[in-house]
Amino acid sequence: MNDPVRLYDGALSSRLLLGTARYPSPAILAEAIRASGCEIVTVSLRREAGGARAGEAFWSLIRDVGARVLPNTAGCRTAKEAIATAQMAREVFATDWIKLEVIGEEDTLQPDVFGLVEAARALADEGFKVFPYTTDDLVVAEKLLDAGCRVLMPWAAPIGSGRGVNDAFALRALRAHFPDTPLVVDAGLGAPSHAALVMEMGYDAVLLNTAVSRAGDPVLMARAFALAIEAGRAGFRAQPMTPRDMAEPSTPLIGRPFDRLA
Amino acid sequence: MSATTLQLLLDELGYDEKTVGTALNQEFVRARDRAETRLREGDAVEIVTPRQGG
Amino acid sequence: MLARVIGAGVAGLCAAYALARKGVDVEIVERESAPGLGCSRFAGGMIAPWCELESAEPLVATLGEEALDFWSRELGVATVAGSLVVAPTRERAELADFARRTRNFESLDAKAIAALEPDLAGRFDAALFFRQEAHLDPRAALIALTERLAQTPNVTLHFQQDAAGRATIPDWIIDCRGFAARDALPGLRGVKGEMLILRSDEISLARPVRMLHPRRPVYVVPRGEGLFMVGATMIENEERARVTARSVVELVNSAFAVHPAFAEAEIVETGSDLRPAFADNLPRLLKRGRTLYINGLYRHGFLLAPALARRAAEVVVNDGHFPEVMDADSDQRAAAGCERDDVATAAGRTGV
Repeated sequence: MNDPVRLYDGALSSRLLLGTARYPSPAILAEAIRASGCEIVTVSLRREAGGARAGEAFWSLIRDVGARVLPNTAGCRTAKEAIATAQMAREVFATDWIKLEVIGEEDTLQPDVFGLVEAARALADEGFKVFPYTTDDLVVAEKLLDAGCRVLMPWAAPIGSGRGVNDAFALRALRAHFPDTPLVVDAGLGAPSHAALVMEMGYDAVLLNTAVSRAGDPVLMARAFALAIEAGRAGFRAQPMTPRDMAEPSTPLIGRPFDRLA
Repeated sequence: MSATTLQLLLDELGYDEKTVGTALNQEFVRARDRAETRLREGDAVEIVTPRQGG
Repeated sequence: MLARVIGAGVAGLCAAYALARKGVDVEIVERESAPGLGCSRFAGGMIAPWCELESAEPLVATLGEEALDFWSRELGVATVAGSLVVAPTRERAELADFARRTRNFESLDAKAIAALEPDLAGRFDAALFFRQEAHLDPRAALIALTERLAQTPNVTLHFQQDAAGRATIPDWIIDCRGFAARDALPGLRGVKGEMLILRSDEISLARPVRMLHPRRPVYVVPRGEGLFMVGATMIENEERARVTARSVVELVNSAFAVHPAFAEAEIVETGSDLRPAFADNLPRLLKRGRTLYINGLYRHGFLLAPALARRAAEVVVNDGHFPEVMDADSDQRAAAGCERDDVATAAGRTGV
């Protein structure tokens, strides 16, 4: 089934984007990436003393895996920090893709949507392909598109919470309002069924990390999510029936034995 | 630290310049500008390396 | 038969002990002036095979169970008082996940926690208690082990010496250099760990307490006389021997969450080193000719060293082979993965 999704200049056959943090070991991370079949992994930049060997083992693992990297601006609290981080990421990772995060609140890690729009505009003007991590707010989404974003990444629930879709109505509304913009659900999913649900709603892709890395068996969970995403996508394309209030017999009644045509 | 430029600071700290990004006072500094970027007392230097991320 | 053990950390000393018990003549060569000055020095000293199942493969628990008897009975340096695992109230999901991945524990309520650790009364409303686990002071343990070796007739100890400078040619070299063996083991990486030692007379704990947290888990291990080891960061960075201010802040914050009195504690020591690890974080016995490498013990030095040492001695004396720690990655993972698949199948069965 050839059904690629286009995110900026990338045509991807896998609709799963995978985070690389908090796996039990580098070997399990590499296996999970392979098992998921994902073509994009998210990476980060961290301030860390350490001279020549800082971060090198991780970076060579990612290069060996062969997936395209999507750097993030995790931990940035202002537009200014996020912009500088994006610029550093472009140089270090040699990509103009950036997952833009501007965190506004420590407890929920909720995006600061004002800083987000400001940073998105500045980065898009500089030629970045911005993947903004945002809430499910329609007006913010509008402003991000206006700022130059061509992909939106709304949350389903707070980062790492594993709660699944908190507000299905808001996510459906977002999908309905932006039928032509690639929408990636980022953050808050916990189980494969959550991913299947958003794919059935017509979302284009799913970005996961904790749900896979902190599962009992991350490799098996990566595979499970990949299957769920594929199933959900196929389900969306196949156009599900509309729910009915009453039972509808699935077997044709005409010609049924003992039937009395009244 | 005695380094007078960002490049000298990286050398002093033993960084492999291929895999680090730099910023000075929250402004990005390109790799090719490091040698000309002078450091002053109280400057905030940011040196970042690839990391796991979600 | 003469075996030269290079490195007098926990792996080397345990290997020497196991070899000597099998009648092998052993010389231990260490470049430092005393035993255990490498990363063993900064270990937590928790002999906690079942707690480690939270993030480690089943193999770590299987091998680690052998360490309980070794440190507590054979050497008499470990205290079997169990491990207590707690979580802040709002992170109860962490406790549920931990319980699902581990075994051999009892669930405690607030009352039972208070009975076990009176100083934690009223601070946590649920905990897991791993009754059979033990803890030790790594420095005291290695001194005791070194003394035992020094009294063994077929063992000699050579400190401040370079193995390359030895005149005799041994039958076997047992390489226990940890991260320093990277020159010979290209797959080895270093995972930085930082720890603190705090002194407080206001708190008393009888056993290690692990506090779970999605970003900043911490453990506090009582070392006696008001001392507590607080550890440990896990950073994929091969920078050695430097404790960052950020890590100190995080560790102190986490210790404070275990008990507020830690805020008033004295910082007696900070320490940092590299845990030697392979990509799967599992240990290896690697035989290259007449050299046997014991490495990749990662964060499980005291937990895994006794089991690896016994196997190493079997390799040297009886040409033993232990696929779980000697086969190449894929085989080893397959073996270690069996149990995982069983768990997944069982979960699938009950989950319908």
